[in-house]
Amino acid sequence: MPNRRSFLSQSLGIAVLGGTIPSFLASPALAQPLPALGASVDPDNVLLVIQMGGGNDGLNTVVPYSDDAYHRVRPTIAIAPAGVLRIDERIGLNPVMAPLDDLFKDGRLAIVQGVGYPNPNRSHFEATQIWETASPLNPVSYGWLGRYLDRIAGAPHGALEAGDIFRAVTLGDTVPTALIAEHVDVPAIGALGTFGYNTGKDAASKSAAATLYDGAKPGQSPYLSLIETTARNAMHGGDLLKEKIASINSTGIYPNDGFSQQLRLAARIVRARMGTRIIFVSIGSFDTHAGQRAQQDRLLGYLSAGLYAFYADLEANGMQNNVLAMTFSEFGRRVTQNASNGTDHGTAMPMFMLGGNVRGGVYGTHPSLTDLDNGDLRWGIDFRSVYATVLERWLGQDPSSVLSGRYDSIAFV
Amino acid sequence: MKLDTSTDPQVGFRPAGSLDIVTALDRYEGPFSTRQAAHVLRRAGFGGTAADVEALRALGAEGAIDRLLHPSDPDIEFAAYPDPKLLGDPKTRNDAAENWWLDRMLRTRHPLFEKMTLFWHGHFATSLRKAPANLMVAQIDLLRGRALGNFGSLLLAVSKDPAMLVWLDNRYNNKSHPNENYAREVMELFALGLGNYTEDDVKNAARAFTGWTLDASLNFLYKPAAHDDGPKTFLGRTGNFTGEDIIATIVEQPIHQRFICRKLLEFFVYSDPEPELVEALAQKYALCGADIGQTVGTLLRSNVFFSARAYRAIPKSPVEFTIGLLRFMGVASVPPDTIGWLRRMGQEPMAPPSVKGWDGGPTWINTATLLTRFNYVNRIVKSAPPQAVPSTAASATMAPAMMTAAAAAQAAVFPTLTPSEIVRRAGGLDADRVLATIEGIAVQDDLTSDVRSQLRDYLQSTGATVPVPFGPENYEEKIRGALALTLNLPSNQLN
Repeated sequence: MPNRRSFLSQSLGIAVLGGTIPSFLASPALAQPLPALGASVDPDNVLLVIQMGGGNDGLNTVVPYSDDAYHRVRPTIAIAPAGVLRIDERIGLNPVMAPLDDLFKDGRLAIVQGVGYPNPNRSHFEATQIWETASPLNPVSYGWLGRYLDRIAGAPHGALEAGDIFRAVTLGDTVPTALIAEHVDVPAIGALGTFGYNTGKDAASKSAAATLYDGAKPGQSPYLSLIETTARNAMHGGDLLKEKIASINSTGIYPNDGFSQQLRLAARIVRARMGTRIIFVSIGSFDTHAGQRAQQDRLLGYLSAGLYAFYADLEANGMQNNVLAMTFSEFGRRVTQNASNGTDHGTAMPMFMLGGNVRGGVYGTHPSLTDLDNGDLRWGIDFRSVYATVLERWLGQDPSSVLSGRYDSIAFV
Repeated sequence: MKLDTSTDPQVGFRPAGSLDIVTALDRYEGPFSTRQAAHVLRRAGFGGTAADVEALRALGAEGAIDRLLHPSDPDIEFAAYPDPKLLGDPKTRNDAAENWWLDRMLRTRHPLFEKMTLFWHGHFATSLRKAPANLMVAQIDLLRGRALGNFGSLLLAVSKDPAMLVWLDNRYNNKSHPNENYAREVMELFALGLGNYTEDDVKNAARAFTGWTLDASLNFLYKPAAHDDGPKTFLGRTGNFTGEDIIATIVEQPIHQRFICRKLLEFFVYSDPEPELVEALAQKYALCGADIGQTVGTLLRSNVFFSARAYRAIPKSPVEFTIGLLRFMGVASVPPDTIGWLRRMGQEPMAPPSVKGWDGGPTWINTATLLTRFNYVNRIVKSAPPQAVPSTAASATMAPAMMTAAAAAQAAVFPTLTPSEIVRRAGGLDADRVLATIEGIAVQDDLTSDVRSQLRDYLQSTGATVPVPFGPENYEEKIRGALALTLNLPSNQLN
């Protein structure tokens, strides 16, 4: 079986490891060499980042159903082979993920297995910081996507044109570390209806409010300039967003859960073509220390159905090739289940990449369940390789200007 | 051993200027005007009406802080528990618990105790998304009861608290399958900080906490059969430790003193405090035997607390912002939709986003949360009872006792700081005097002359709905508009 080194050294980009090659991947049309570095990248490309907060258990997501060790160490929470949505004779998807399985069969979904980094951290907060800053060893102030935004913005804080406000957006009430930038304020859009300054019929009060912040001067506390810049963007951005996406209606039906509704708004933002490059969404509560099956299955169901609706919406509007969706979670979970039908904090896990331009398939090897590192899975692919690939091949940015160190690209896009 | 501050988003938001460490924690002897009184009431409470600020000012700095730390008058009578009917229904129980607490924050006469309860809730962040709402109510009561007491006993009580045993899974921690969740977080988040213990310490502490579980009614239960009473090595000591031993060992660590004092400084004084200031407070904390009340008292009376660098130097949390607004506006009852607003501002009480609580500092401020704050101000300031209810001639003649309970409850969500009240305070319907009154009571004149003239322009402006300048025909709408604009200034986002 080829190891990671031989996989990465292949000149032909397509590489499916640890199993048989699904037939669609063997077709010559898909097995194309990667474009040359820095080759033309569509400036309209959008990266949708999906955070699976809490630490998603990879082994019950991409299930090594034929591995006896899997069933042995997880007597009550292992997924029975009969239900698994088989990818090959070793692995398959959790049964609740049928919609994603359809996209996989269509060659639109890539699974990058065994992703991690050296000396994995098992604290939610440190591990999240590590994933979001791409800096495991030295804490840094800005997120990896924030550094990317700083590179492409070039303008000092607050000097962005109104049209640049939505270069990156997060759908939710807080801006994740990944999007914290030195020069760019990333708007957090909780919901469309609440994103705007509402004064009822007192229009004079609304225009006065905009003037107050336009004329604001930096004050004494370092927080003042943050508040003033953010307020200015908020005043202008609220109206702008509504104007831009007012005429865009969703195609198809999205499930009612909050995550799917975030994706629904994300698709409208993509279709509005506002210059958005990054959209960040999150789905939480993967911290399944107890009663894992019900909880994780419910969440993976949301993830799968929501992404399916999102992809269908884009496809119906001819924009499925403009978006690359990428999942991540701060860590996977322990191999052996605990006494409460759950799993504790662990290490490596799979990432999903979805999009019309994705080279579907499985990348990397499934981590061994018997050759463990202190009870945890050994990682095979450094997460910064995934980031480097996304930066270079999807966002057209030299990865070394954002990530410290050089990381091999992976052929999923 | 040193404090790991790498994940603190407040790092970098230390106020400009330099610290005089020699006198920083000495007793403040300077002036105590309305601005200082309002500063104390915002930090050590949730702000208040102009009259509340004036009452505090009249006590002087020493008297004001004594009153907050050692209230002589009893608090008002609160229901011990939210309505059991609401708390029993899965559809209403979370809102019932949250509203019960918000109501206490709004109406308590002992605001420092409720403020410290909020501090501890952020510190021991437990959520009703996992722990049942009735257990959350009991945990908040526990935090309030010990809010200004000894930290070690607080930590021990929290470790045995049913909501916590559910939240961090220690109820499932038994000797055959140790669950490390609580053992890790008690060190990382509650008492020591990252980098001050090893993975082996986590494993051994988890073994010591085995057997701390819940009975069928979700009361704390020690189950000896589930406890691992074998020898354990923890933070350099070896013994057949119990959970109590682990807590006692943790609290003795010098790094713990700095850990907790840094957090108190960020809550009460300013972001990213200097290490020497942390160290100085840690010494006081150690000296008084981890007594939180004495430590907080030292802080509130100190020069650094009253320094210009600490003034309006911390972003208000959404709960502080919301309760502060309701108190300032003289709203007697939390409007029922407030929880939704708080959620959109990024802080639903009893529902922290993770075990780490809310990151606070700059993370409170983004376009969505700021718009939500602005719009909540607009909504509260501009809300007025329907013209048909109390202010009409008919109801004005009605004796207060005749007002039905329902009508009274309805009236309680409206501000008593009305446009007429502001005109009365200003001494007449004069634009300049009205504006001066608003600026004084709302932000203690913390605004620039440019902003002042813009507010004046607004007050005098004419428009489609208000065709004449400020005067008897439009003063209500204009005063509400100017008050909302003033409360939406940057200074009111800062505590």
